[in-house]
Amino acid sequence: MIKWNRNIYRSFIIISFIGLVIVMLFGIGQALSYLNTGADRTAMLHLTLNKKPVYFPKTSWNDTINPGRPIEKQTLLDIKRDYLNAWYVRNIAYQMNTIDGVADYFTKSARKNIYKTMLFNKKENVTIHGTTINHNLHLDFYSADGQLVVISDIGVKEYQRTYKEDVVLVENKTRSNYQVMLMLEDGFWRIRHMVKKNKNEILDSTQRLSTQAKVVGDNIYVDEKEFQIKGINYYPQQTPWDMFGDYFDTTVIQKDFEIIKKAGLNTIRIFVSYEDFGKETVNSTKVNRLQQVLSSAEKAGIKVIVTLFDFYGEYSVLNWTLTHRHAEQIIRSLKDHKAILAWDIKNEPNLDFDSRGKENVLSWLDEMIDQIRVFDPNHLITIGWSDPESAALLKDKVDFVSFHYYREQQDFENVYNKLTEKIDKPLVLQEFGISSNRSLLNPFGYSEKGQAIYHQKFQENIQKRDIHYLSWTLYDFIKIPNDVSGSLPWRKQKQKYFGFIDASGNKKPAFEFISE
Amino acid sequence: MKIKAVYTIFLFVALLILYVLSAAFTNFLKTEESVTAKLVTKETVFKAGNEIQLTFELNAQVFTELLLHYSYGTVLISSDLLDKPKFSIPEFIVNKKGMVSYTLFYESKNIYQSQFFIEANTTTPVQLESYIGPPSIIAGGNDYTMHVVVPTDTYDNPLPDSTAVILKHQFLDIVNERQVSSKDMLGWEQIFSYEESGQLLLSSQVKETYSKEHAIKVFPAFPEDFTISYMRKHRYADGNQVINFKTSIVNDQYGNSISDGTMVNFIVKNSSGKLLHTQGTIINGSAVAKMLHPDHEDTWEVKAYVYGMGESDKLSLSFAKVLEDFDVNFGKGNREIIVGPLKSFMGQLIPDGAMVKLDIYRGNKKIETKSESSSRGMVRFLLEEGFFGAGNYSFKIGSMGVHKEYDNIVIQ
Repeated sequence: MIKWNRNIYRSFIIISFIGLVIVMLFGIGQALSYLNTGADRTAMLHLTLNKKPVYFPKTSWNDTINPGRPIEKQTLLDIKRDYLNAWYVRNIAYQMNTIDGVADYFTKSARKNIYKTMLFNKKENVTIHGTTINHNLHLDFYSADGQLVVISDIGVKEYQRTYKEDVVLVENKTRSNYQVMLMLEDGFWRIRHMVKKNKNEILDSTQRLSTQAKVVGDNIYVDEKEFQIKGINYYPQQTPWDMFGDYFDTTVIQKDFEIIKKAGLNTIRIFVSYEDFGKETVNSTKVNRLQQVLSSAEKAGIKVIVTLFDFYGEYSVLNWTLTHRHAEQIIRSLKDHKAILAWDIKNEPNLDFDSRGKENVLSWLDEMIDQIRVFDPNHLITIGWSDPESAALLKDKVDFVSFHYYREQQDFENVYNKLTEKIDKPLVLQEFGISSNRSLLNPFGYSEKGQAIYHQKFQENIQKRDIHYLSWTLYDFIKIPNDVSGSLPWRKQKQKYFGFIDASGNKKPAFEFISE
Repeated sequence: MKIKAVYTIFLFVALLILYVLSAAFTNFLKTEESVTAKLVTKETVFKAGNEIQLTFELNAQVFTELLLHYSYGTVLISSDLLDKPKFSIPEFIVNKKGMVSYTLFYESKNIYQSQFFIEANTTTPVQLESYIGPPSIIAGGNDYTMHVVVPTDTYDNPLPDSTAVILKHQFLDIVNERQVSSKDMLGWEQIFSYEESGQLLLSSQVKETYSKEHAIKVFPAFPEDFTISYMRKHRYADGNQVINFKTSIVNDQYGNSISDGTMVNFIVKNSSGKLLHTQGTIINGSAVAKMLHPDHEDTWEVKAYVYGMGESDKLSLSFAKVLEDFDVNFGKGNREIIVGPLKSFMGQLIPDGAMVKLDIYRGNKKIETKSESSSRGMVRFLLEEGFFGAGNYSFKIGSMGVHKEYDNIVIQ
């Protein structure tokens, strides 16, 4: 018994000694690393900061002539970067009610104002999710020693959504002019004074000058001729949901376009993935491939609805400017392309309402429509709502209203009639179809014949009312990525058999009813 | 009794129906009628720091909130009063110059929208912030410094454009004053240098507020070409004395002597075309550099440069031979070679430290070079047995420009 006790004492002493050593070593390590902070060169020169820009409002230097002294290109870039960062940290400060980073971009006297505002909001339990959409910078003054500038920022478009106790209270868009004095301190251009100035009326440059496609009343016109969309959603058979990837092959796509054209269709809908195309810095190879697809379509006499932001799901206000730059880079390079009929901003955004917040999604779409109108005045804009109930959302802003219908075929007429009462713009049935996935595992699914009958009946409906339509989809697919319909095998299985042509290239019975 | 009871129940039910109907009707009215607001406050321009209250008149008793958007952010404020809400604008907004846009909200609906202006409060004492740079400039009137003054009110708001800013500077006997109108938050002036170097003092004044004194250094401009001279104890190439080179006073084109610390490089080219180099910094207008005399007869050409700016004339000087000849004695079976006495120009022993070089050859092949410095005019070389075996050697001995050769010396 005594021996036992002794052993317990021994081990206790040894363990506590080891523990003490560990604690001491840790303490010394912490002390050393604390003493090192701020001493390393990267921190002193702020080299590790500004690594990856996270804020991309449309910003331009409109005028840099000033009485002080000529300004260097590099300084313009530095000022622009730090000024935008100042807006970014300000936005974060009001969104999170924190002061992180504010000290880097506002001088001591200026940051007090931010702190006071932030504390006031914090006390009231108010948070403001805001972003600026654009900045038009004019240089008013640059001092001889290069340490002080005064700039004017004209027509800053700001979007703000105010939450009180996490409930959206109000949403507002403003356009303001600011005059800002910045000083070079510590390697940062910091805001010293900021004065919101008188508004002067700025004309939006969103006038539509030339249009390849337009909408008059209920009708879509292309090159001044009435256009009836008879189309199909398209992915190449081998590369569904990865059309512009490593296996991109124009000859395959060209052949498919001939099949589509021969089948009596005149439109396709394709998808551009946000991440795949490089997010805010768009990958030019991908855009080039998209351009090739469009050119092939033009050759085949097919119009294209390009769906942007596929698999995008962020929507947060602070993320807006990144998506604007994404859209700008793609759309500006394709805005004159004759093959494009319309930009579909996002596929089925209403499915994100629950997870991302309806107000987040809708305000993002709303602003994105305005953005795209500036980038491309030539083509139409729509949103691919996943159900008829959502179709009326933002109907006044889009050119035509698109919705998807995967319900019972016999209910369609009713649903469509109701929609026409609510919406006085062209209605496009942008996705519909049925999977011929009857098998032993799924005895109640449609057979290929059943699928054909489904499409036949749909075509009757379509003919009767002259409905714009795009069916889903040309091919049966062998592999479905998990992002599309989840990883559940029965869902995946279903997604494989929506095609008019099966996986080995044979036309299914439904092909006869691919168009009227 | 029974009938009465029926009547009361009937009456009761009828009342209930009426009540429900009327409630529904008023509800209906309430939702139909939109809330409108009228601004009671008349002023739209305020001075910073003064209290601001916005009062509205509503057509209904509802709870409204006011969203304020000002230079530094956005806040939401509410009022307790229902039909005549009065909003006190928070102090931190009231204190800052600029336009304040506001929107009155009722249940997320915008019912009134407008803006008011806050101006810098010119009745408060002025605060001055001066920014001056560059802090040093070059004399001659091409270079300039800039004096920027940002006048603000007590609340740190830039004063309005066209505020009179008086900018002053002093240089030697000159005291200058100039009044400018502020624009884009600031008043500024460029001050070009004068022809003289020295110190420029700057200050400014806005209304009753005077700034501190700020100093700017005016450095002399680029040096003009100059001359050099030399000083030496004697003209002999004894490898022992030091020669001094000195520049004349180096001036810029305006006659300012060049700043202390400016580097002057002296380049010496000797008669065999080799370049020697020494340098000195300017102190009190001229620079001095030193160099050791050569240890053999030589002629030097010397030129000094302030690189990229000014250079001197060319100076030529020669050094005379000190040594005519020397004796060499072999001893200890020719293993000991004694050179000397080495005699200088007056027959005196050469000061210690003169180098003597011995090249040792065996069968036309140089096997070693030994150098020793003289002590009391003598140098002794020892060829140790372990390194130099017995045999036939040749020696070449040189010192201070004199060379001697000894062939076929047999070492035992």
